[in-house]
Amino acid sequence: MARRERIAVTGLGLVCSLGFGREASFARLCTGERGIGAVSLFDTGGLKSQIAAEVKGLDVPAIAPHGEDWSRSDALAFVAAREALSQSRRVPGAALGLALGGTTGGMYETERALEKIAPGSISPQDARRLLDFPLAVSVERVARALGSVTQSATVCSACSSGAVAIALAASWLLAGRAPCVVAGGVDGLCQLTFTGFNALGAVDPAPCRPFDASRAGLTLGEGAGCLVLELESSALARGAPIIAFLSGWAVASEAHHITHPEPSGARAAQVLLDAIRVAGLEPRDIDYVNAHGTGTLQNDAMESKALERVFGADLGRVWLSSSKAQLGHTLGAAGAIEAAITALSLNQQVVPPTAGLEQPELTTLRHVRSANQRAELRAALSSSFGFGGACAVLAFEAPTAEPRELEQRPRSSIVISGVASFGVRGLLGGVDSASYLVDAAAPSEPPPEPLSLLDPDRSRRFGRASALVVASAERALRDAELGSAGVGFVVGSAFGDVDRSVRFLQKVLSQGPKFASPAEFPQLIASTGSGNASIYLGLTGPCLSVSEFATSGQSAVSVAVSLLELGLAKAVLAGSGEAHDAIVDAVLGDAQRVPRTEGAGFVVLEALSDARRRGRTPLAVLSEHLALRGDPAPALLSLSAPPASACVVTSALPSAAAGALARSAWREVPLHALPSVLGYHEALGAVALSVAASEVASGRVEQALVVTADVDTLYLTRLARYTEPA
Amino acid sequence: MDQSELKSQIKRALLEELDLRGRSEADIDDAAPLFGAGLGLDSLDALQLAMAIEERFGVSVPEGEASRAIFASVNAIAEHITRTKAG
Repeated sequence: MARRERIAVTGLGLVCSLGFGREASFARLCTGERGIGAVSLFDTGGLKSQIAAEVKGLDVPAIAPHGEDWSRSDALAFVAAREALSQSRRVPGAALGLALGGTTGGMYETERALEKIAPGSISPQDARRLLDFPLAVSVERVARALGSVTQSATVCSACSSGAVAIALAASWLLAGRAPCVVAGGVDGLCQLTFTGFNALGAVDPAPCRPFDASRAGLTLGEGAGCLVLELESSALARGAPIIAFLSGWAVASEAHHITHPEPSGARAAQVLLDAIRVAGLEPRDIDYVNAHGTGTLQNDAMESKALERVFGADLGRVWLSSSKAQLGHTLGAAGAIEAAITALSLNQQVVPPTAGLEQPELTTLRHVRSANQRAELRAALSSSFGFGGACAVLAFEAPTAEPRELEQRPRSSIVISGVASFGVRGLLGGVDSASYLVDAAAPSEPPPEPLSLLDPDRSRRFGRASALVVASAERALRDAELGSAGVGFVVGSAFGDVDRSVRFLQKVLSQGPKFASPAEFPQLIASTGSGNASIYLGLTGPCLSVSEFATSGQSAVSVAVSLLELGLAKAVLAGSGEAHDAIVDAVLGDAQRVPRTEGAGFVVLEALSDARRRGRTPLAVLSEHLALRGDPAPALLSLSAPPASACVVTSALPSAAAGALARSAWREVPLHALPSVLGYHEALGAVALSVAASEVASGRVEQALVVTADVDTLYLTRLARYTEPA
Repeated sequence: MDQSELKSQIKRALLEELDLRGRSEADIDDAAPLFGAGLGLDSLDALQLAMAIEERFGVSVPEGEASRAIFASVNAIAEHITRTKAG
């Protein structure tokens, strides 16, 4: 095992229903004050719950720079990020990573646009407005406003998104991808989630009461939390304040049900234990747990069982509280807001109470019930358990913690050990995807319906995009000769299922909030694809969605590599799939000069050492994977020369790709532009990766360079033939 | 509406609202249990069904235990709709 440095938390930013700013919010939290009241943002008539933890006084136009049209979520994220950076005393202009988790982005603003559109009459202009606030936009806007962001990602794993963004930041720091990372989560309230959780009957009409015997559901909230993270040596060198240490992390999936947690708590317990182990600690070292504690019957019962499994007879020693009775359940922000609270608790040696707790269901748990409870805290956990069984746990330590040796997985090459694509020739596995490069002729038969490739009973309610994604991922997994246990999944999605979300919302807006469909709702959040895949395929590693417009599939590969480097999965399926969507096609159809189509591409990534251990010969080695923001010229110029036999595969138009490579050593290499064979969709970059991996595996070329671009981003992925060591 | 037409409409609602692909009205027995072993439905389906019955038939379904009896079978749903509309 290799050694690793400690990760320091050098800045915190917090916006929640208790106020703007970490100090004020945390002080009010510790007194037990509750920021829950009647919803003012939209109509809640006829709903079981009509209350929420709203952020009052959020002046979006005053926060957005240069009169830009920002969403509430954009503004919340920026305010939290700015506060965290300010506390860290980071020099403006120094390179930064930015990782944000969230579930609905600017859905509230999309809903306001939708209110003005009559059902069934969506003009191209209206449609454009509906695509103004996709999930990835917050990272784009915050990155531009902060400046000097060189590495970024938008992740969604439902209610554990914020915690996953923080784990991703740890990976970037340890791999040297960024010297300092702003990581957190954000979610603004919107009717989609508000009516959706009501439809599921998961809400309490009164403010929620986590861990109480009479609890009746959750209360929704909104907000943002951000942490500035850097290696301890970096913080010490520049004399930055160290608030706490981020010592451990674990992300995994239950593969159980799209809305219900796995009742035994066995998987959640394993994730808690893994986070403690990564931190180099034992359960006896943990003094406080900031629980997920939503106040639903199922979550709190499951979580209590998981804690019993982890701490056993020692459970009565460990302080426990949930902040959701005061801040509401802030969904994608919760994991980050509660991580910030956990870090503040360790820093100030005080634990916030669980408000509203009158009759604890279990007396074995040591609930914090007093205001401003002083406590001697060495280490603490922050837990997140989301929809689709997406679990994430972070371990923090007090700033006074003694340094000790920490281990990390030794670095290994990452290889592709399975590949699949879906396009005009249907579902292709292994080297078959390379057929698009050999013969451009259109097939005589149309491809199969994506849903026909899946078991109908286990794929009920899957949208077309989910079907493309799950069928392709299943094929790639089979190709890799891998089982599903411990395998992770990262899927890129540009916009999500826009048509279906609009249908759900139009029904809510025209017929009333009580006609929100409970079965549709779980299929409409950004992590739908990963949740469906995890459950359908039985994947128990970290399963999440990422969003980055037309480079979403490439972002998925980057995040998958980070998960492997952190040792969170034994292998990761990474890719993207996009289906026809009337609204997206109406907006983007004219902008591109090729027909809009649909398709998917997935690869199985694993460490070379793992592939060799199980006797699997890799299809290709992922020898270089560059995500370039801003001016790509320096990276293109320094791209090492291709071997005698090589090709370029791109999802861009031939002229654009040739232009990008014109000053690189790859300018003379044969170039395959997939739009001319496959048409265009936002997952074409993922298809390009699959096709290139197949081409390398076929033995026709030694190396292939995959080029994928969007307005501000350019990805270069070099795949090389695997050669057995002599 | 006669009972056979009502039951046919309930079955169409089940097929559409619960996304029972590859099944037809003929596959759903009037008296067979819908949940558990039957069609393999779960509590999420029960919530969807309750909303759909209110939307399609104008009849609300109570929450909790009472809904379990109503959703026992197509016959039971038909009986609930008929009784509620009559009363």
